[in-house]
Amino acid sequence: MRRILSSITDGKGFDLIMVGVTMLFLFALAGVPLVYNVVMSFQQVDMFNLNTFSRPFAGFENYVAIVSQPEFWLVIRNTAIFVFGSIAGQFIFGFALAIFFMLSFPFASTIRGLFLVSWVMPGLVVGALWGWILAGDFGVLNAILRGLGIIDGTMFWKSDPNLSIWAVTIANIWLGLAFNMMLLSVGLAGIPRDLYEAAELDGANGWQRFTTITLPMMRSTIGAVLALGLIYTLQQFDLFPAITEGGPANSSNVAQYWAWQWSFQLFDFAKGATVSMMMVIFVLIASIVYVRSTRHEVRG
Amino acid sequence: MTRVAAPKILLVLALALAAVYLFPLYWMYATSLKGASEIFANPPTFWPRDPDFSIFPATWERRTMDTFLWNSLVIATGVTTLTVLLGTGCAYVLARYRNPWIDIGLFAILMLQVLPASVMITPLYVGFNQLGLLDYPRTAVIIAAAGKSIPFYIVLVRATFMSVPSELEEAALVDGNSRWGAIFFIVLPLARNGILVLAILTFMQAFGEYIYSKSIITTQSLQPASVGLSGFLGPNSTDWNGIMAYAAMYVTPIILVFVILQRRIVSGLTSGALK
Repeated sequence: MRRILSSITDGKGFDLIMVGVTMLFLFALAGVPLVYNVVMSFQQVDMFNLNTFSRPFAGFENYVAIVSQPEFWLVIRNTAIFVFGSIAGQFIFGFALAIFFMLSFPFASTIRGLFLVSWVMPGLVVGALWGWILAGDFGVLNAILRGLGIIDGTMFWKSDPNLSIWAVTIANIWLGLAFNMMLLSVGLAGIPRDLYEAAELDGANGWQRFTTITLPMMRSTIGAVLALGLIYTLQQFDLFPAITEGGPANSSNVAQYWAWQWSFQLFDFAKGATVSMMMVIFVLIASIVYVRSTRHEVRG
Repeated sequence: MTRVAAPKILLVLALALAAVYLFPLYWMYATSLKGASEIFANPPTFWPRDPDFSIFPATWERRTMDTFLWNSLVIATGVTTLTVLLGTGCAYVLARYRNPWIDIGLFAILMLQVLPASVMITPLYVGFNQLGLLDYPRTAVIIAAAGKSIPFYIVLVRATFMSVPSELEEAALVDGNSRWGAIFFIVLPLARNGILVLAILTFMQAFGEYIYSKSIITTQSLQPASVGLSGFLGPNSTDWNGIMAYAAMYVTPIILVFVILQRRIVSGLTSGALK
């Protein structure tokens, strides 16, 4: 007894308890629900058996039902546009800004830090801001674009089925750009200066230095940033209820919002679980890429 | 990449980029101060013609923001407390050892970090319902949101602990301190800044939490400010100056804290790699 007690205060037992309690908590709140989600996606769940564990087994019925929904392919297409559009936009603008802020001028890191304010704001507020900026008749973005002579008419960002998914994507690019820039800046700061000096002495121009030094040296950072981009984009939920609510006619609905609608608007929890299980597969692929490219830093 | 470019021109360019990027924030404040007819002016006025500050108390009153913000505060405080209590010790142990078990634990935590809240909410809701936790909706949200924020907290706080040399701790043990003593008097004070920054970030995130609260809390008087905002927001909103006034009152504290602690938050996030 004494030995166990002293192990808790001084030895291995101490470490085990520290890790064990937290791991148990996380297991109960993430591991168990994940398994439960798999189970539910093979069950028939309705309001009457919500409180019991004995629900009829449904086999692949839920999966078949989801795939044969008329909006299924539309949601897949929208999710693809949202994910790839967001990642491309965040990465390209983020990379350009990160390179710009590596130049030496006064207050460079302070101004760069200010960009991150978009990332700490509640998602719903960001959605509200962009919902107003993108408004059709009175939105300021249309006014600016008209003023610059880029468009003549009015772009109905939120109510035109061809544009609505882009409206949410634009908002998401703004939201995630700063975080991308910050991670890429860390990678850029890790490249030794003398490489560039040597290349400059050898007569390499800016573009050559970028393709032969910056890109190869940044390979693992870029991998991590792209994988994180995929993960965070699939986690993005708040912008949808705030800007378009998935409409009009599902033209801006994506998997994560669709799953929520099944569970909490149609109260068909089994279908909600099914859609989210399909998403988890993509998330897992992304996270394997992410873990592989950060293994280095995490184990550091 | 250092070029002999005029730093002043670059500074002006950087300020211009920041101004473009932060324009949505300016637009929020500008719109909230406009009158009901001016918000629909075409072309829009970029500076409010006749700033009207009475919208703030009016919106505060009409949207019962005191209740909403109080609930946000309760939820954020709960999530932060739970995260710091459970996450700090775990991060410390994960930082001190190097063996396959630790690697497995880290891998599991990284994997948990990537699960979308929209995936977890369905099983959590059904499970909480069966456990009867839905009768305490704010507690249920706190537990669920803490499960989401702990992995993120552990990964970054662990990086802070790794920068505390373990020799200092060993010296304390040799001097007769217990493990607890070494942690409380040597390690924690040295890691204080990192822990504080991550706790603040956790708080900010929980303060804006939406999906769990929206799904779990059905009683209006217990809902946080994010759900309150969603109540009058949607594709067909027209009350834009009211919405912007609400949004401004909701985020201004967050923005202020961020601007004051900006340098520390950035270095905490990037684990000191970027000064």
